Amino acid sequence: MIVFDQLKKNDPYLRALTLAVLLGIGILVAGLWWVQIISYRHYTENQKSQSFRTVRIPAIRGKILDRQGVAIAENRPSYNVSLYLDELREEFRAEYARSRQPQWVTNSLPFWKRWLGFNPVKKQYPKQTIPQRRALEAQVRYRVASNIVQQVSTILQQPVPFTFGDFMKHYTNQLALPLPVLVNLDQQQIARLLEGSANPPGIDLEIQPTRYYPGTNLAAHVLGYLVRDNRSLEGEVADFNFRLPDYRGHVGIEGEFDAELRGKAGVKSVLVNSLGYRQSENVWMAAEPGKNVVLTIDAAIQQAAEGALQSAMAGSVRGAAVVMDPHTGDVLALASSPSFDPNLFIPRITTEEWRRLSDEKLKPQINRAMQEKYAPGSIFKVVTGLAALEIPGFDPEQKIYNPGFIRVPGRNKPIDDLAPAGDYDFHKAFIKSSNTYFITNGMKAGIESIIRLGQRLHLGERTGLLSSQETGGDLPKLAEVRRGWIAPDTAYICIGQGRLSVTPLQMAVMISSIANGGKVLWPRLVQRIEPADPNSGETIIEFPTKPPRNNLGVSERTLITTREAMLADVEEGGTGKAALVAGMKIGGKTGTAQITNPRGQIVGHTTWFASCAPFENPRWVVVVMVEEGASGGGTCAPVAAKIYRAIQKLEMEGRSAVALNTP
Amino acid sequence: MISFPVNEHRQPKVDWLMIIAILGLMIVGTLFVYSATMANESAALAPWYNQAWVRQIFWYIIGGVAMATLCLVDYRILARWSLIAYVITILCLIAVPIIGVDRFGARRWIDLGVLQFQPSEFAKLSFILAMGNFLSRPLDELKLMRVFWKAIGMIALPFLLIMKEPDLGSALILLPVGLTMLFVAGVPPRYINTLVGASGILVALILIDVLFAPPQWQLKLEDYQKRRLLTYFGIDGASANSTLAQKAEARRTQRNYSYNVDQALISVGSGGLMGKGWREGTQNALGYLPRAVAHNDFIFSVIAEEKGFMGSVTVVALYSVLLFTGIRIAGQARDRLGKLLAVGVVAMLFSHVFINIGMNIRLMPVTGVPLPLLSYGGSSVLCSLIAAGILQNVYIHRRS
Repeated sequence: MIVFDQLKKNDPYLRALTLAVLLGIGILVAGLWWVQIISYRHYTENQKSQSFRTVRIPAIRGKILDRQGVAIAENRPSYNVSLYLDELREEFRAEYARSRQPQWVTNSLPFWKRWLGFNPVKKQYPKQTIPQRRALEAQVRYRVASNIVQQVSTILQQPVPFTFGDFMKHYTNQLALPLPVLVNLDQQQIARLLEGSANPPGIDLEIQPTRYYPGTNLAAHVLGYLVRDNRSLEGEVADFNFRLPDYRGHVGIEGEFDAELRGKAGVKSVLVNSLGYRQSENVWMAAEPGKNVVLTIDAAIQQAAEGALQSAMAGSVRGAAVVMDPHTGDVLALASSPSFDPNLFIPRITTEEWRRLSDEKLKPQINRAMQEKYAPGSIFKVVTGLAALEIPGFDPEQKIYNPGFIRVPGRNKPIDDLAPAGDYDFHKAFIKSSNTYFITNGMKAGIESIIRLGQRLHLGERTGLLSSQETGGDLPKLAEVRRGWIAPDTAYICIGQGRLSVTPLQMAVMISSIANGGKVLWPRLVQRIEPADPNSGETIIEFPTKPPRNNLGVSERTLITTREAMLADVEEGGTGKAALVAGMKIGGKTGTAQITNPRGQIVGHTTWFASCAPFENPRWVVVVMVEEGASGGGTCAPVAAKIYRAIQKLEMEGRSAVALNTP
Repeated sequence: MISFPVNEHRQPKVDWLMIIAILGLMIVGTLFVYSATMANESAALAPWYNQAWVRQIFWYIIGGVAMATLCLVDYRILARWSLIAYVITILCLIAVPIIGVDRFGARRWIDLGVLQFQPSEFAKLSFILAMGNFLSRPLDELKLMRVFWKAIGMIALPFLLIMKEPDLGSALILLPVGLTMLFVAGVPPRYINTLVGASGILVALILIDVLFAPPQWQLKLEDYQKRRLLTYFGIDGASANSTLAQKAEARRTQRNYSYNVDQALISVGSGGLMGKGWREGTQNALGYLPRAVAHNDFIFSVIAEEKGFMGSVTVVALYSVLLFTGIRIAGQARDRLGKLLAVGVVAMLFSHVFINIGMNIRLMPVTGVPLPLLSYGGSSVLCSLIAAGILQNVYIHRRS
């Protein structure tokens, strides 16, 4: 071979030279081996990290559907105009050339250069330092982009703020992504942009799914709202260079079922060149759309309930209405007023709106159906009544004289009875809501049996419906009533005042148990979670009706007596007569709880109407609560009547009568 | 005075093995100059006759013609004219700082109107011819101190002039070429040892001075030369008592200047065993490897990225064939002049290859040394082919 031939020759110089060259080539090959084979992974990583940018693509959020399949939270396409800076590089270059005109300078040349024919007049670019050049380049880029934004603004007939600061922020931090110019175009603007034959370069119309609540305020407290949050969920890829705007559910179903609704974010990789401009894109992992959550809510009933609640009083109503299926515990409507529009949180709530939603008195964010506790007032007489009716040998026909007040041992001032003076049996006492009758018989039954009933109703405990939005209320414990408990304390509990507080949802569970024969149910709000694509073969997660949480443990006779009394309260001119609805037998009980300040003065009323219908076989439980209403019968019973009428109409005329707003 | 080789033993007229290696390198050169430049859109849109790969082919043809023409004249006749060539070259080198044109911050080119050329490239050739001619004197004379010093002077003159341009790379090439020729010519080893020792100490002193000495003591190197050296030795140049901000700035600058080497390393390394495929390399296409150097000084990293270790080894193998045929020609030379010329050319080509490829894998500091026959550029291609022509000339007039 040619190499070894040289080594064998008898020429020490050439042999040395051959060895030297051989050594040099050996070093090179070894070096190449080290760099290309041994360190291959290292340099490939380097190459990828400098030329790829990963972008997190949020998944399309799942819908929230009512029990009929009507979407009450969905996604609508939002049209955004974006500017692709990488397509403007030619423009940048041209503008830079325009901004830096060469000058003609005349140099004084030495004679021999002149003699050699050098031209003393020379084209020369003005000298600039590197920082000057960078500043000029930045200015040039901004000018080009700003011009295009201006043109877009003219086409869309809408001013678009575009400052140098905005531009530089995007340029330095997010060059690989398009620059958002204007988001949320309206139909006309989309049309103008699409028909424009001469759109400026680099401009593109992008469609982005955006959360949309077609019913605006509808079931806002149940749905909750979204907040801007681009972070990765646990178990997702976490190291992205860029993240596209994403949202996280805050309270409500959006919050509670965020993990399911959110889906799984995808990954897009953008190949960038040495200047950071986008070169090409490639979706590494497609986003998996979120799952749909199907509620027990009936949007039509919810809408009716909200509308009825609004009409309870003039001005802002602070109250709640719950509609429940007494056999299953399905919540058909859960209204709270004042409400808010969760659309306001997309893309971001304004400070002013947020201030409005944080009003100290109105507290629009509070879900009054379950997040706030109230004295039940006279609707608790239902429980007192149950306790009394269960006294062995108790005769509901037996009359008690009501002088218009009742004296309770241990309390100097008598407790007023708003029912007119006279003789009262159970039936009359219930429909007139006599304090005297219920305190007398309640004390006869004893506080412990009332507390036990309360415990079986799980008062003072949460139902677990939306954990972040629920309070359990207060019910004295048996240990408390056994020590240091005095007669007036019992008297107050008997009429739903004192150391007792409940939520409208708990009252709906209570009335359901009367209506369904004593079963204390778990309320249910979510029926199932379905995959976004029904054909995907993914499993549907069902939340079946749970077995009853407890049983009232009272006789059928007691329940019938109570139901009859409730019916009479509405139909026989009782306190709830305003709830009368033609063609539907409604049984109910009104309540007007006094709210006292620490000095014992009455500062307001919490008014209630708790009811079920139809009497023969109750299918709906409606509980209405209004803060600072006039009275349960005057303020809340008409609201319930409206809800029942709407249900009646739905039953008779079908769903088309009550259609949701669609976008 | 044209003498034709006497072909008595039916031996081939030219060294075909070397010609094949050269053709192979030319094909590789064309392919990868194309790959390196066509990634750039504006370059791809240029008219065909203005495209780099076409120009490269043009220079291959010119070079090939020059090589063939050179073979027609016996090298002994060429050597007689070498002193004149040497003097003209020296004059050109002196003229460069005065009438030369600037490119990329260095004044290395002379503008002839139609084309520009780099005298430093041709200086290497005329230096080899003149040195070969000078050292081919009787062996006894080489033992004289006077002759030795003259030889040193012949190296030093173009070295200093090229160094002044500044073109550190081309200047440094003269040292191994000169030393190899002195060694093979038979100059007493003690002279050479002294010379190597002295130049080693000198280079070390210059490095220590440039890298560590306080500013007022330092040699006046061009800023970029100093930075290249600092980069190679991984020193950021911030003094011990500078503020944090100054240090950060120095580090940033150092990173900027080490950018080319870092990117070249990433290109070579990410090529792996088989490479990403011709025209599939991203480093060059995305501009990480600066466009200004990808097709000339850093053409090797484009090849290595796109063809991987196999590609790089192929290139090294082609050069090995070229070099070892060169050494074989030196061994077959009819006289000491022929041997010296062949050895000089081999030393020159080897130095180019070693420094350039070494620079791509961080074995060597960055100096603007082209890769013979592969790097884009007329002067370099022409010189490499003329050098090959000298080898062929020696071969044609070899011992029979």
